[in-house]
Amino acid sequence: MGLDFVGRGPEETDGNIITTTIDKVVNWGRKNSLWPMPFGTACCAIEMMATLASKFDLSRFGSEAIRFSPRQSDLLIVSGRISIKMMPVLKRIYDQMPDPKWVISMGACASCGGVFDTYTLIQGVDQFIPVDVYIPGCPPRPEDLIDAVLQVQQKIASGASPKGVEVVYE
Amino acid sequence: MSEENQVEEQPKPLVLGKLEANYADALLAQDESRGTVVVVIRKERAYAVLEYLKTDPELAYTFLVDVTAVDNSQMESELMQFDYARFMVVYQLYSYQGQCRLRVKVPMPENDLSIASVTALWQGANWLERETYDMFGITFDGHPDLRRILMPDDFEGHPLRKDYPLRGRGERERFNFDKQNV
Ligand code: SF4
Repeated sequence: MGLDFVGRGPEETDGNIITTTIDKVVNWGRKNSLWPMPFGTACCAIEMMATLASKFDLSRFGSEAIRFSPRQSDLLIVSGRISIKMMPVLKRIYDQMPDPKWVISMGACASCGGVFDTYTLIQGVDQFIPVDVYIPGCPPRPEDLIDAVLQVQQKIASGASPKGVEVVYE
Repeated sequence: MSEENQVEEQPKPLVLGKLEANYADALLAQDESRGTVVVVIRKERAYAVLEYLKTDPELAYTFLVDVTAVDNSQMESELMQFDYARFMVVYQLYSYQGQCRLRVKVPMPENDLSIASVTALWQGANWLERETYDMFGITFDGHPDLRRILMPDDFEGHPLRKDYPLRGRGERERFNFDKQNV
């Protein structure tokens, strides 16, 4: 559970008191209850659904509470192609999510346009919204998405702020 | 053996006979492609012919499968056939009654890219004609709501034209966030 950051209380309490910092406790809670906002626009979304379903079961990592309202979520999973008509929608959804928020760019298309080097496709969503973790692959396997969620968790546990926040406070 | 090798004489499709009898002036060419009858129709008469194809009780092509267009500007062999008309509007029809398909093509010269809308005949033509307008810039007279359907409203140009660059004209880097109704 990642409780290794705690210290024990004084000898005479028999270890029934633990000491830590508020930040660490809050981050520990955040990291184990990420609420993803799925933004599935293409084939990658099928793999994302598989990740959420029983076989791979993202709920093992505390992230099963998929929210279709951006205002209730803190992890945006962009899975699929984003066209120039869809990008304003995605930006709006990202803006609606409350801070702190993290973004996973899933698959070749979301990360760099993939094979669709055409007039209408955004060549990487990171041109418009900050991305914390990229997943390579076309499509990535569900294990890759789980790994990305774990990387976001590591990032949260380490106390690093999300990519988006860094931009604001600079 | 010899009988098997013989090419069977196909009866002439009903639709060709009827079009030749009633619309000989509109018929530019006729062809057959993988079992589908193809007719090329003069633009001015396209609506009348399509209406006839739909309403004639024997033909009854009541189902409009698709409306699209072809840009032949880089197909010299196609261009030559119909007086260097750059575009070809294509209607795919199906008759439940006769259980047969029909492809109607209409050559469109580049200096006059408008054709009568068939939304009055088939409601389903509405979005199909909008898509053809969006992608090729062909306008449909009498269409109730001829707006772009796939590309953003402030998009310039018609991307399925052969002279449109595949990677666009930079719109994927500098499109307008505010102008679009999100
Ligand atoms: S990366 Fe591959 S699987 Fe994912 S959306 Fe693009 S084409 Fe589909």
